[in-house]
Order: sequence, then C-alpha cells, then structure tokens
Amino acid sequence: MSDSAYSIPRPSLADLETKTRWLTLLMLAIGLHVFEAVLPSLGPWFKPGLANLVTLLAMVMIGPRAAFSLAIGRVVIGGFFIGTLFTPTFIISLSAGLVSALVMVLAWQRLPGISLIGVSLLGALAHMLAQFWVVETLFIHQPAIYYMLPPLLLLSTVTGWINGALARYIVARLTHE
Amino acid sequence: MLAGTMADYILLAIVLAGIIASWFAIHASIGGGVPTAYIYHDSVLVATYPLPGDDRVIHFDADGEIGTSEIIIDRSGARIARSPCPTQHCVLSGAHRHIGDMIACVPNHILVSIRGAGEMHNTFDAVAE
Repeated sequence: MSDSAYSIPRPSLADLETKTRWLTLLMLAIGLHVFEAVLPSLGPWFKPGLANLVTLLAMVMIGPRAAFSLAIGRVVIGGFFIGTLFTPTFIISLSAGLVSALVMVLAWQRLPGISLIGVSLLGALAHMLAQFWVVETLFIHQPAIYYMLPPLLLLSTVTGWINGALARYIVARLTHE
Repeated sequence: MLAGTMADYILLAIVLAGIIASWFAIHASIGGGVPTAYIYHDSVLVATYPLPGDDRVIHFDADGEIGTSEIIIDRSGARIARSPCPTQHCVLSGAHRHIGDMIACVPNHILVSIRGAGEMHNTFDAVAE
C-alpha cells in the first residue's frame, strides 16, 4: 500500500484551537454544574446560573452549535458526577438548559440593540420557565406549582443580569488581549 | 460593569412588569380562609386539611409513583416526614405553614400546597427535588 493510504489528514490549527476552546469551556461548565449542585438551595430548582454563563460564552466565542453541544455535554457529564443521570433532576436540567440556549441564541441573533446582559436575562427566565413547565407536564401534573414562579423569576432576573455582565467582561478580556 | 444598553433596560422593565402582574394575579387567586394543606398526587387532590391551631397531629400517607410519602400536619405546619425518594430534600425542607408555601416531591409526584387567607409570602421555603 502506498504511504498516502496511511496518512491521516491533520486538522488545521484554527480547528484545533476552536476544539480546545470548546473543551476548556465544557470542563469549566461541568465544574460549575457540580459546584451549583452542592450549593445550599435558595428555592426549588433555583441555581445562580453560573453553568449557563458558560453556555453564553460558548455562543459568543465559538457559535450557536457549540452552545447547544456544551449545554448537553455539561448536563450529561455533570450528571455522572453528581449521580443524577436519567433522574427527574437530569431531565429537568437538560430540558431547561436546551431551552435556555435556544432563547439566548435567538435573542442574540434577532433582537437588535440587546447586549449580553439582555441575552443572559432572557436565558435565565427561559431556564426557570422551562423547569416549571417540565415539572408540571411530566411529574407533578398540578398547575398549583406555578404559585412559586414569580419570586423565583425575580431572582432569575437578578442572577441573569449579573451573569450577563460577567459574560460581557470575560468576553472582552478574552478577545481583546 | 452592570450597566446595560437601552434595549436591555426596556427588556428589564417589561420583565419586571410581567412578574409583578403575575404575582398579584396569583396572590388574588390563592383565596381566603384558614391556611389549608392541599395534598396532590399528580393532578388528583387526595386530601385537604386545615392547619390546626391546637395540639392535634394529623398523619396522612400519600401514595405516589415510587412509594408512600408520610405527611404530618400539626401546629408547626405541614411536612413530609418520610419519603421513598433518593435525596430526601422534601423531608429535609421541614414544616411549612404560610400561605403560598409548597413542598414538592418530584420523583414521587406528590405536592403539598398551603393555600388560604392572607398574603402569599415565604414561597422561598418551598423545596423540591
């Protein structure tokens, strides 16, 4: 056989750099996912959304597909570490993470004048609403759970705004130095 | 660092208006009377108990998806005393007696909702898993 039959095409440096960046963000997201799981709970299904912040970074720095794959990857691999794989918690996290990523991508692409703060705010609200919808539809089947929603949405508004500001700061530091 | 664009502030105003409006709407729909524990399995209301103001203790076994949740209602409020779920967050959340409070055991599909007169406060006490 000729030498060319054994040759493996080498990826470009830019491709390797993108993959390395995505893997780095994935590791960070998994770490934050696990960290948030052990934090004292402020309320049902409420987390500060730090892991979601990494999804936002992936969307801006790599692209929408990277954001979706990172949202799935961190919930699946994080689920291995915290022992929630295929439990109701896993289903709720995965659905909410994907809905949040979708809303953030659409807001980033379609809403004029909005910054990462507004994108993050919408993502945080979408995450909370999706969690309640999944719990009501698949598990509790009782609309009374929505009574808890307004105060939790208020908290999500605060954390979404702060996370968006953090994301903007991180992106500015990473892309302009 | 926390300053947003004009579009961000418009979005924030719309979101806050929506949250406040829904909060008032929910507050109005919760109803009046003595604080009462409504116990649900899925969409089925399986029991209602007014929270006692005396020393009575009510035990109720709610059959769920993965077993039986033992619910105790007494002067301190309603609590899930025993649950077949793995992490026991619903048990660890303790007693709740304020209108608007909730205890949800997602794996067992059991919900305890406190409704009745007064304000919808302390909803952050609700714990689910």
